[in-house]
Amino acid sequence: MAVRLSRRKIASYYADELIAGRDIVHNLAAYLVDSRRLREIELIVRDIESALADRGVVVADVTASRTLTDQAKTAIQNYIKVTTGAKTIELRQSTDSDLLGGVKVAVPGRELDATIRHRLNLLKATKV
Amino acid sequence: MDYSTSFNMFANAAADPEKTGILASLGIDWMLLAFQTIAFLILVVLLGKFVYPVFVRIIDERQEKIDAATNAAEQAEQTAAAAQEDVAKLLKEARKEASAIVATAKDEANAAIEASEKKAKSRAEKIVADAHDQIEKDVIAARKTLHNDTIDLVAMATEKIIGKTMTGAIDDKVIAAAVKEAK
Repeated sequence: MAVRLSRRKIASYYADELIAGRDIVHNLAAYLVDSRRLREIELIVRDIESALADRGVVVADVTASRTLTDQAKTAIQNYIKVTTGAKTIELRQSTDSDLLGGVKVAVPGRELDATIRHRLNLLKATKV
Repeated sequence: MDYSTSFNMFANAAADPEKTGILASLGIDWMLLAFQTIAFLILVVLLGKFVYPVFVRIIDERQEKIDAATNAAEQAEQTAAAAQEDVAKLLKEARKEASAIVATAKDEANAAIEASEKKAKSRAEKIVADAHDQIEKDVIAARKTLHNDTIDLVAMATEKIIGKTMTGAIDDKVIAAAVKEAK
């Protein structure tokens, strides 16, 4: 029976693999199935992203009300570089028209919600 | 003896003074006089022994009764005077007591009126204070409602306006400003 590795070790290993340019998807999937840890997949992915961030590669979830323009992407990348010190940034984009405008950026350990929806919610939260 | 007989005897004696003497000349029969004197004395004795004592006793009893009645009247008069004095005294005391009662009643009435006025004033002040508090609470509640309604209105209006006016260029500016502010 295989030794049960910690999520941290798994994440560190696969982060190194990704930085080395190797495809880890099949390998990781096989490992999780074999070790019966499919339920932890989201946690492991998050840990891998954290491990990547520690190595200067940041994967950011960016949500906006419409598809980002290059200008907006550049601004967001600059922001992530300044705040995390990342050398490489990968943006994972999604759209949500309910946000009305602005952008929400989530990186490991940090989140920036600069959407208009969030500001309206903050305004509504001031109700007494 | 009637008057005519006496007059005749006196006339006879005056016509013959030496024969009849002075008594006869005056028409007085000394035998008759003595008899009448004795009868008179006997009458006096009888009256003094049997009649006068009865009269005296009756008179004395009457006098005693009169004296008793007089004494009773005097005593009654004294009693009446004393009673009148007592009545006057009682009246005086009653008037004095009535005056005291009236004065006490006036004092109590004044005290009651004063207490009532004080209580009414206190209650009125409390009502006014409660009204002020209620008004203040209502104002605060109205302000809160206005505040919340304004926020809802602003949020709704902003949402609608932005939904209609937001363009890619504007969104880029918003994102750039937000990112710049976040740095």
